[in-house]
Amino acid sequence: MRVLVVEDESKTASFIRKALQAEGFAVDVCHRGDEALAAAAHSSFDGIVLDIMLPGRDGLSVLKQLRSQKIHTPVLLLSARGAVNERVEGLNAGADDYLPKPFVIAELVARVRALGRRGGESKSTLLQVADLTLDTISHRAQRGGKTFDLTAREFRLLEFLMRSAGRICGRMSIIEKVWDYDFDPGTNLVDVYVRRLREKIDEGFESKLLHTVRGAGYVLRE
Amino acid sequence: MKIRTRLTLWYAAILIVSLAAIGAESFNEIAEALQPSHRHHLWEHAFHETGEIILWVGLPAIILGALGGWWLTRKALAPVTALTEAVEKIHERNLSEQLPRTRNGDELDRLTEVFNAMTARLDGSFQRIREFTLHASHELKTPLTVMRGELEMALHEEKLRPAQIERLLSQIDEIERLAKIVDALSLLTRADAGQIPLNFETVRLDDLVRESFADTKILAQSHSLHVNLAACEEVSISGDRHRLRQLLLNLSDNAVKYNRPDGAITVSLHRNDGLAELKIANTGAGIAAELQPRVFERFFRGDPSHNNTIEGCGLGLSIAQWIALAHQGSIQFASEPDKLTVVTVRFPAIGAVP
Repeated sequence: MRVLVVEDESKTASFIRKALQAEGFAVDVCHRGDEALAAAAHSSFDGIVLDIMLPGRDGLSVLKQLRSQKIHTPVLLLSARGAVNERVEGLNAGADDYLPKPFVIAELVARVRALGRRGGESKSTLLQVADLTLDTISHRAQRGGKTFDLTAREFRLLEFLMRSAGRICGRMSIIEKVWDYDFDPGTNLVDVYVRRLREKIDEGFESKLLHTVRGAGYVLRE
Repeated sequence: MKIRTRLTLWYAAILIVSLAAIGAESFNEIAEALQPSHRHHLWEHAFHETGEIILWVGLPAIILGALGGWWLTRKALAPVTALTEAVEKIHERNLSEQLPRTRNGDELDRLTEVFNAMTARLDGSFQRIREFTLHASHELKTPLTVMRGELEMALHEEKLRPAQIERLLSQIDEIERLAKIVDALSLLTRADAGQIPLNFETVRLDDLVRESFADTKILAQSHSLHVNLAACEEVSISGDRHRLRQLLLNLSDNAVKYNRPDGAITVSLHRNDGLAELKIANTGAGIAAELQPRVFERFFRGDPSHNNTIEGCGLGLSIAQWIALAHQGSIQFASEPDKLTVVTVRFPAIGAVP
């Protein structure tokens, strides 16, 4: 899989490249928006990691230009935290995903890998990870014949984790996508909720599904 | 005593003295002009003449003079009064506004000019401080992202000893903490510079309060606190949903963090007199009265002996205050140490509830 990383800060670009290469991606790096546009137009990539703040041409305008040229390479936007407008504008302009800065590198790698699978992603209403199922219509979770009652928030958290099953979810992404907070709440809200969710879906079961990745976040996997 | 009154009194005194001098002089003149034959009437006559002059000419002249003097000083000092009023309106945020000048080149115009130059210099300094913090917080973000990334990559290296892993993880934790502080600081500096646009819409505050109350309950559980929503009246305000949620979460988080074990939190939302009034009360050590005026200051963290174990950077209440003020609201902090601490936020409510 070949990925274009567009990031003006060379050190950040370099560790993103190292991390992606370590996972077997071929990586091209651009530091300017206008260069990125030229690169994306001339060769084909399987995914683009696009920073919003760029010299030459900002990320959003690069994205709009790409889409207007009918280049539909999946794009992962890196947005500054707190810039809700940018993020909304980015998704409207055709970004496939976004990640607030500063990000967890493991999460970035996982998201980039998922970019390649876009389109095939299940929008199904019945989610399943191992023997845990979640009905997104009735909001009912079941595991091993046991049904759990979930609060609205727990449901959204579980849905998010199940839809990203196998991928690390950083606390900031969870806060943004489950709580829709565009700020760091400075609380251990996520951890408290994950603990409660874990009590429900993992307690009493031999194999645990909800894992903590220290220094990164959480992941739901077999 | 006002300059105007003082000058008028001095002026009147000078007039009276001159009148006395004139009176004495005219008394002499009249006395000399009299015929020797009238000498025996001399004193009486001269006294009478002088008295007439003083009464009919001198006194009206003094009254007129004093009134004129009062009017003159008033007129002369009017620009000073105007200047005082204009200067009174100057504060940190409108330093860039200049006082209107008469441009007639007089002393007061010169004063205004010098004053304008001074506020311009002050404005420049404030601006530079703001820009410095703005740049500093922005510049700090990138190295933090890089450091975090590098550490995380190091974590994935093979053959790490458990002690090394522990060290790397603890460094990542510290970087996260630093990133939070930089984040909050950058929010405040951008707010100071007016760079944070608020998306105003009609917001049902009671919905937001209920939602944040649910989170508060969850957060409070691990501290075994009793959380109680005493009232939640329907009320709409014009506001930015994200910022209002941030304010609510900041306040409830404080109420949880600075509580005592087995303590209580009471949240209430009332609508009265066209205001939406939110109160969040919590038990706990609280803040001593002499320190209370400082709670909204940046990095203020209360009594260090009480809460150095509590995580936080001392910017939460500053952010809450900014959000309240940006919504034309107000925020108040009242604390009775070791009993009850109450934060009250008021917003202008809009219209009737549908």
